[in-house]
Amino acid sequence: MRRKILIVFLVALVAICSLPGVAAEKKLTVISGWSGPEMDAFMPVLEAFEKETGIDVDYQIYRAEDLAVLLPAQFDAKTAPADVIFMWAWFIAKHAEDGHVLDMTGYLNEADFIPGALDPVKSGDKLYGGVYTGKVKPGFWYRKSFFEKHGLEAPKTWTEFTALCSKIQRISGIKAAIASGNGVGWPLSDITEHFIASYAGPDITHALIDKKISWQDPVVASVFKDKLVPLLKAGYFSEPIEWTMAADLWWGGEYGLFFMGSWITGMVEDPDDLGVFSLPDCKGIVFAPDYAFAPAYTKYPEEAKRLLAFLSTKGQEIQVTAGGHISTYAKVPLSVYPAVDREVAALLEGVVALPDLDDTIGGEWQPAFWDQLKLLWVSPGRVDEVLETLQRKAE
Amino acid sequence: MPVSGTCPGGDSVGQTRGRIFFFLPALILLAAFVVYPVINTVWLSFQTPEGEFSFLKNYAEILSEPELVDLRGFKRGFPYGALIHNIMWIVIHLPLTVMLGLILAVILRDVKGGAVIKSIIFLGMVTPMVVGGIILRFLFDGSVGILPSFLNLFGITRRTLTAHPDTALFALILGSLWLWTPFSMVLYSAGLETIPEYVYEAAVIDGASPLRIFFLITVPLLRPVTGVVITMTFLWVLKIFDIVYVATMGGPGGASNVLALQMYMYAFRQFNANAAAVVATFLMIVALIVSIPTFRALRGDEA
Repeated sequence: MRRKILIVFLVALVAICSLPGVAAEKKLTVISGWSGPEMDAFMPVLEAFEKETGIDVDYQIYRAEDLAVLLPAQFDAKTAPADVIFMWAWFIAKHAEDGHVLDMTGYLNEADFIPGALDPVKSGDKLYGGVYTGKVKPGFWYRKSFFEKHGLEAPKTWTEFTALCSKIQRISGIKAAIASGNGVGWPLSDITEHFIASYAGPDITHALIDKKISWQDPVVASVFKDKLVPLLKAGYFSEPIEWTMAADLWWGGEYGLFFMGSWITGMVEDPDDLGVFSLPDCKGIVFAPDYAFAPAYTKYPEEAKRLLAFLSTKGQEIQVTAGGHISTYAKVPLSVYPAVDREVAALLEGVVALPDLDDTIGGEWQPAFWDQLKLLWVSPGRVDEVLETLQRKAE
Repeated sequence: MPVSGTCPGGDSVGQTRGRIFFFLPALILLAAFVVYPVINTVWLSFQTPEGEFSFLKNYAEILSEPELVDLRGFKRGFPYGALIHNIMWIVIHLPLTVMLGLILAVILRDVKGGAVIKSIIFLGMVTPMVVGGIILRFLFDGSVGILPSFLNLFGITRRTLTAHPDTALFALILGSLWLWTPFSMVLYSAGLETIPEYVYEAAVIDGASPLRIFFLITVPLLRPVTGVVITMTFLWVLKIFDIVYVATMGGPGGASNVLALQMYMYAFRQFNANAAAVVATFLMIVALIVSIPTFRALRGDEA
């Protein structure tokens, strides 16, 4: 009797699971590195997709550094931890070559995006990913109240910039003119890229990315030796400090300037007190979009592509309203941006938008770049050795 | 000659089969998840990324890279290369772990509240290494760190010890000591409990000083424990990765790079499994060279 009941129960269970809507319920998983307030700002985007399509989306947090370890092994096993994954563009392009990424050609219209935004995830005519919002790395942030209190002004020439640093350095209670943020090294790379774009120019930045010019070339070396190193030797930059702590110390008045991306607007108590200036003679500003892709091993390829297309288009409009993000989708109206982001967007006028140098090159070179800059910051006299190492790693 | 139905060891056939039955799952798991990966890693280290057999060419190339050995360091200072950094870890970390663990265990044995103090010291051991690495970053920070503040009392200028090439490696070794010494202290504490009280009483009656008791009774009788502490610490230092990755990422300028981190860089940044396999095989060989004689010596002691 018991056996019969068990058989009937199992048959019923199989039948229920076979019903459409139970077994076939689709749920997509999205992975990105955003947590805390950044995640809170991203969730409305996923909720909008769920509302529009009726497809559930689960969100998981993984840092790009961890994904770099996890994904290659998963791809070898022909599986993937999510249906849409935010990752470095160079990583997407590399694994697309090996067939681990879904082809997105035809799902996004390139003309709807800012020029070149999709290039890093393209291979020939094929498109292997979607582009999301970007963050601008416009230059040095300051507190307007701090500048007013001490009679300081944003510089318009290199001489004025060094004079400003000197003046801030002499203010009582100031530890150094500029707070140097440190993570694993990337905030220093942002500063350096800004110097290269300003004093060697956007073409040199592109040439360095394409490995068409040496890091020891006189033009590149001059940016380091004539601009960056004298400031470091003068002690205008602090030694590298964990970047979130550096932001607090700068906001608290221990430093006068802080180089950071546009996401700083979402990190401070009063964004209206924020002012920003680029280096005098700046010819290019880094505009770094986030990229995402759908792995070839997703169970729901069509739905994953649909989500990726949504994130790249309508999703961007929802995201920028939260602040700190600039859309790469040209159809997002300026009116939806918070005021401080419109100010950041204005800095981009008249200068070339550049890709993030180390994110674009990637690979082993990227952490080497971060690491060598950490050395340069505390030992500026070793600049030749730093440039030699960067060139050796680039070869 | 064994009796029919009895194995050479004297066990019955049934007993032997039973043993094989219970041993087999473990053997299969070991073969699949330990033996096969080890053999495959060694094989990978002899191959080019294209899969061609290259014998020792990879070893010659990898071991001559400045990331592994940088002789310019002897003129200019850090970095010296990951291999030399690992040797420095061993030379500094190993004796300090043994000495500190032993001294703490002896001192805290008879102190009132010693168990509580030992528990507090042991917190370092139970702290996850990644968390330990993050704590080290703040511990050595020039603005908020305890150590730079302490050194400042003696007139030494505050600076972030992990940010400078001449102090980064030493700061990490110091931090690792905090995290690892509790292990040796606990082992020595357990070892001290095994020394009979009458041995000490006899020494005291004979008029031996506390120092003579320590060097002529405690230290020799703890020799097997010391062997375990040395072996385990050596292996710990050889595979050190997490706190370096989190606290300095091997920097600045490679000044605190270590072999395990370099292996990670080859595997997950260069995606060069062959180069990573070379470092892994090298680490395995060194670990075997050190641990096998130690365990043999310990077995000899037990016998």
